Amino acid sequence: MSASTVPAGSSVSPEIVSSIFYGVTVSDTLALLVAEMVGGTPRITWGNEGAVRLLGYAAEDLGALPVSTLVPTLRGGEVKLLLRRERAARMRLSVRTASGAFVESVVLSTPSPTGRMWTLRVVPAASEQERALRATADAHEQRFATLTERSPIPTLLSEQGMRLAHVNDAFCSLVGLRSEQLLGTGWMSVVHPEDLDAVIEQVVVVLGGGDGEARARLVRADGSERMTVIRFAHLFTPGVGAGFVGTIEDITQRLAFEARLAHQANHDPLTGLPNRTLLAQYVSARFRPGGSGLACLFLDLDNFKVVNDSLGHGAGDELLVEVAARLRATVRPGDLVARFGGDEFVVVCEGVGEAEAITLAERIGAALAVPVRLGGVDVRPRASVGVTAQTAEHAAAEELIRDCDIAMYQAKTGGKGRITVLDQQARAEAREKLLLVAELRDAIERREITLLYQPIFSATDGTATAVESLARWHHAGRGAISPGTFVGLAEESGLIGGLGLLVLDETCRQLADWDRTLGVAAPRRANVNVSALQLDANLLPQVIAALDRHGLSPSRLSIEITESALMKDPASAREVLAGLRALGVQLAIDDFGTGYSSLAYLRHLPVDCLKVDRTFVAELADGHTEIASAVIALARSLGLTTVAEGVETAAQATELAQLGAGFLQGYSLAPPMTGPDTAAWFAAR
Amino acid sequence: MPPMLTAAPSFDVEKVLASIDTMAAQKPVAAQIVSVANSDDTSARELAQILGSDVALAGRVMKLANSAYFGMRGRVTSLQFAVTVVGFTTVRTMATVALTDLDDESRLPANFWRVSTSVGLAASTLAPRFGERPQDALCLGLLAPLGIALLHHDDPEGYAALTATERTTAARRAAEVRRYGIHALRLTAVALEQWGFPRSMVAPLTGVDDLGAEESALLRGALEVAARLATDDEPVPVERLTCGLLREDALPPVIDKVRAEAEELRLAMLGQ
Repeated sequence: MSASTVPAGSSVSPEIVSSIFYGVTVSDTLALLVAEMVGGTPRITWGNEGAVRLLGYAAEDLGALPVSTLVPTLRGGEVKLLLRRERAARMRLSVRTASGAFVESVVLSTPSPTGRMWTLRVVPAASEQERALRATADAHEQRFATLTERSPIPTLLSEQGMRLAHVNDAFCSLVGLRSEQLLGTGWMSVVHPEDLDAVIEQVVVVLGGGDGEARARLVRADGSERMTVIRFAHLFTPGVGAGFVGTIEDITQRLAFEARLAHQANHDPLTGLPNRTLLAQYVSARFRPGGSGLACLFLDLDNFKVVNDSLGHGAGDELLVEVAARLRATVRPGDLVARFGGDEFVVVCEGVGEAEAITLAERIGAALAVPVRLGGVDVRPRASVGVTAQTAEHAAAEELIRDCDIAMYQAKTGGKGRITVLDQQARAEAREKLLLVAELRDAIERREITLLYQPIFSATDGTATAVESLARWHHAGRGAISPGTFVGLAEESGLIGGLGLLVLDETCRQLADWDRTLGVAAPRRANVNVSALQLDANLLPQVIAALDRHGLSPSRLSIEITESALMKDPASAREVLAGLRALGVQLAIDDFGTGYSSLAYLRHLPVDCLKVDRTFVAELADGHTEIASAVIALARSLGLTTVAEGVETAAQATELAQLGAGFLQGYSLAPPMTGPDTAAWFAAR
Repeated sequence: MPPMLTAAPSFDVEKVLASIDTMAAQKPVAAQIVSVANSDDTSARELAQILGSDVALAGRVMKLANSAYFGMRGRVTSLQFAVTVVGFTTVRTMATVALTDLDDESRLPANFWRVSTSVGLAASTLAPRFGERPQDALCLGLLAPLGIALLHHDDPEGYAALTATERTTAARRAAEVRRYGIHALRLTAVALEQWGFPRSMVAPLTGVDDLGAEESALLRGALEVAARLATDDEPVPVERLTCGLLREDALPPVIDKVRAEAEELRLAMLGQ
């Protein structure tokens, strides 16, 4: 403070000056006062210009003002708290100005070394800027509070450990309690006791600065439970410590929905029984290789198709539901009853041997045999049952089910309504078959199935006009495998599509090859056999693609279909054949006369040729010409040509020509040959 | 006795305040915690580091962090985490307790901790209704009776005589002013201000006599709850004490809760 700031005319004692210099670094902007004890009362004895400006007193009025008038909130002896003899003091006080208004201030008092005089520095506490900042912070907090309060998401806020400082309405209504009951650690009692540890674990992580979530059941006031996911976020308040914000998602309904979906995925909707998927899981979970005690019963209802066809699908469903109920009621508690598919059921038992499993199968048979009334008719359900008890030879769970499936088929073929235990012989055969299927699949993929071609001759002039493609499989270890075996196997195991395509494509390729090497001497047509299972909408595009690939006209191909294949689904067969016929491909019915074809259907089928079966040809040698001649006559009257198969002798050939057969085929005329041999054979003629 | 109490203040409050400085010198770790704990740039790590050099205090903070009050069920295994869990204000409060020998019950007026935990719990339970942080309110409530301990400390016989004579809180406060020139709660305010406690903790104590001071309403409500639990005082309508922020019918559950939890908190605070 410079001398010019001292009010004019006032005398300032050296003590005052020294006390000021002792106490503070002086500036004009500061409000400074000096207080001293006057007659036992502390009074202001001096003030600077800053003090005059702040307090509104004239400099002369300041002198002798009791300190208690300036800071009236210090009552009684409390002025002493500010005016300490030994040390400086700092107090936040309301300082009264001349107008009577109060200024919130921090007052710092410093005693002089004598202890009789104090320097007081008055610093107004909250500047406008501070107040504005504070107001903004309050507004932010208010907005945040409003946001969470009205938020539909249940929200918790902790500022200390597990202690909640705030819960919103959504959380209160989720658990059915008032906020007062939940604040502090009250909310911990709504967390299911078994889940509380996990929640605290997550809180520990979150208080340490991480994020976390916990799945916890919350127990509502009414005792019901909600499954929730609590997501925690770290919350740090400077100078206070760490807490968390928790938001809660009620996943009870979602879980219930998922559980329903999971149940639907694993159960049959009609009977409510576990389905094949669950059965597989169930058996896998209990199967120990090399162990024993697990047994499976495979049931197939006999004549279920008859019920469905005669009484309708509604009655069929009713029967399945009734059978399911009887099975459940008959098995031991803990046994699994599953619907394997269609009219097939599987029962799995634990801790039983073969004998007990057979006893159970008999009990089931007896329970099923009680008549059930369907559509006004009493039906006596019967089932063929295959039984398998686990042995050391079962290496995997699927083998157990597969074995009892095989046993059931044996029961079925042995006459319905039987119980069959899979014997070792059947087991070995089944394994053999499985192995062969795998090898057949490989053979098809590697095109190891080869084709032989047998020439077909005109009965009138003996010229060879066509060939029939015949598939052959020469197995590296087993030698030649008969087409009857491997075609049947392919049909059973879903490989027939691949096999058929191979034959079709290879035949077309060979025809094109012959065209190139033999020119006009090449066979005019190749006959390709098609299985009943290939007779669908895919066949036409496959034929078109094969012809295109090898640049052949449709007339070079004849498709042979067995009579029985045509009769499986005559309507759709007719449609497929019509498409092929329209394309220009010839169609022949193979083995005609061996099946039970309806002649009426035959008239409507778009075919060109009937193949007379070799058995009727063979009968000619015994003087029985009736069937062969009838077939040939029938073909002629329908405008169809005929090919007689299995012609073994010249006499047969002559007789067939006399009967009017169009074409002949047989080992004696020409055996099946490889592609190159066939080329050589045609070239030689 | 009465003549002595009604006589002009023979007791020098200056002496009490000076003793606060002496205490700080005797317990430097506690004093350091009191001075840094609520600074905005103090971290839990720093605080734990300082705390670590006072084994007794550190142990008490660990015990408190694992007490039922904070619900952490024994999962607080490090001092730094303990500081995080209980919060900086609480650490500071515990340091203050250590600093002022409040942890030695033999040197305190009877029922001191029962009263202070009751005030603390009541304040913390009521805090949300007043828009205050429960944890800060707990600390304020726990420390509010500090002035009683200070007066008792410096004038054991005189203060004992005073409490024996004056049966009601109001009469005791008036007697304190007569004898010491200041009553205990105001003395607490002075001490806390001197130690640099935030204004949010000092102001409620300063304005406790002014029924119009809203910032002291929560403290007055909490003191009333403690009084109803511990004294035979005629109940004062709580609505009047709290500027109308609290209604009488809200009080019974709070009183029940405080009664149930006070002893547990006392043990946790004293590390017993």
